[in-house]
Amino acid sequence: MTTLTISDLHVSYGGVKALRGVSMHVEQGEMVALIGSNGAGKSTLLNALSNVVKRKSGEIVFEGRETKGMSPHSVSRAGLLHVPEGRQVLGDMSVYENLQVGLIARGKRNTIYTLDHVYELFPVLEERRDQIAGTLSGGQQQMLAIGRALMGGPHLLLLDEPSLGLSPLITDQVFDALKKLNAEGLTVLLVEQNAHRALEATSRAYVLDRGQIAFEGASEELAGNQAVIDSYLGA
Amino acid sequence: MIQFYYAYQPIIDFFLLSVGFGYSQQIALRAGVFSIATAGFAALGSYCVAILATKTGVPIFLTVILGTALAAAVGGLLALPLARLRGAFQAIATLAFVQIILSLLLYGEGFTGGALGIVGIPREVNTWILLIVVGLTMYVMWNIGRSGMGRVFNALRQEESVASSLGVNIGKYHIIAFIISGAVGGLFGGLQSLYTFQIEPHNYGFAFIVNVLTVVILGGRTTLLGPIMGALIMAILPEIARPLAEYRQAVNGVILILVITFLPNGVGDEIVFWFRRRKQARQQQHRASEKEARDAVS
Repeated sequence: MTTLTISDLHVSYGGVKALRGVSMHVEQGEMVALIGSNGAGKSTLLNALSNVVKRKSGEIVFEGRETKGMSPHSVSRAGLLHVPEGRQVLGDMSVYENLQVGLIARGKRNTIYTLDHVYELFPVLEERRDQIAGTLSGGQQQMLAIGRALMGGPHLLLLDEPSLGLSPLITDQVFDALKKLNAEGLTVLLVEQNAHRALEATSRAYVLDRGQIAFEGASEELAGNQAVIDSYLGA
Repeated sequence: MIQFYYAYQPIIDFFLLSVGFGYSQQIALRAGVFSIATAGFAALGSYCVAILATKTGVPIFLTVILGTALAAAVGGLLALPLARLRGAFQAIATLAFVQIILSLLLYGEGFTGGALGIVGIPREVNTWILLIVVGLTMYVMWNIGRSGMGRVFNALRQEESVASSLGVNIGKYHIIAFIISGAVGGLFGGLQSLYTFQIEPHNYGFAFIVNVLTVVILGGRTTLLGPIMGALIMAILPEIARPLAEYRQAVNGVILILVITFLPNGVGDEIVFWFRRRKQARQQQHRASEKEARDAVS
């Protein structure tokens, strides 16, 4: 089953065209990477998916339903959850309270992602459940942001640059958790600048370049494609 | 004790009313709405009660309920046009709302007594009633704070876009916040009119707005203790500063600046946060020593 289908998506800010006819799809249970350089439109694409920015034209179908005209909160309530760039935890609230706020998106839907499940995935969140979220380290905040999205019972998890500003060791931990979640059946669309890691963790990938899909294919193949290596993976 | 009460009764009553208006102001700020509509809600509640109590035979108890309901309903309606505004624009729009209410009261002379207001309102409210109603309001606010709704309000205040991405319907919760703010403002407005014998539009003008905002800024925007500490300072300050009576406004201003500079969360919030931090540090210490004990065993 296809979880997400995007057809010919255009998004503009003022006169600037950020996305110019993007088409892609994510199948249920897949972990798909979206890589590309700065300003390629990766975050714009995620924001368009969660209806935070309005599209100019094109179709976005999530679980058989066109999301056009839905408000951002209805999109997340439908199970399309977005972990925004820069983590964005609610800094004045405790770890536990942050996770509880995550429950809102779940509504009455059933999900395997309980509080215990999140604590099992990220034990540090249980250790620090009463700590004010703003005082957590960057890696812990990223784990909290992912955990909070899980509490909402995602059918599709959008992740924007989860490795941003994290040490390699912590990035490993975050990616291990993502792989584990995917193995349990979670569908993930992962946006990363760290292309090596993204391609290593995913089965399929898209390369976004100046608002258009430049390459797509199996992550392994893209990692070996000379043009992709030259443009996006460095020497 | 009794003597203390008689000597300071007007100050105690002023304090209790300020706490009530403070909660009306606080709930809006807490949900991230920069509303100063409390003065308008208070005016609506107070005039509704005064008119019903002096011109009709409606039982006093019922007039207060009607005043509260009217202000709550107007609050809910007010939230609709405000949904698209944020920050300073929201503040100015709510200020305009207060001005509209005050103009209606001034020009609706036949009904509201115009600039002279309404006199001869039965004095049915005393310190004990105020105390009970403040207690009930605190109980309701406490429950809101502990519930999921309190968390949603906190999330909205801190980062609206994050709250929305987590499935929070921003518009709906702003309407709820305005209804609560309206109900509490109208309730204490009604009590005030049954306490002061006479009301006029001027009571709910600029001075009222500044007073209510000061209570919440001095006291704190998020905790139950906030408006209490704010109102306490506002009630006691003029007494302590009596030798400086001529400079009272200046003293108020200086204290406000000092608090904003050194206790930006407000006195009440800072006290609560301090206790929370201490509790947390103890818990962490406790966990660390537990872990040490476990490690020592293994």
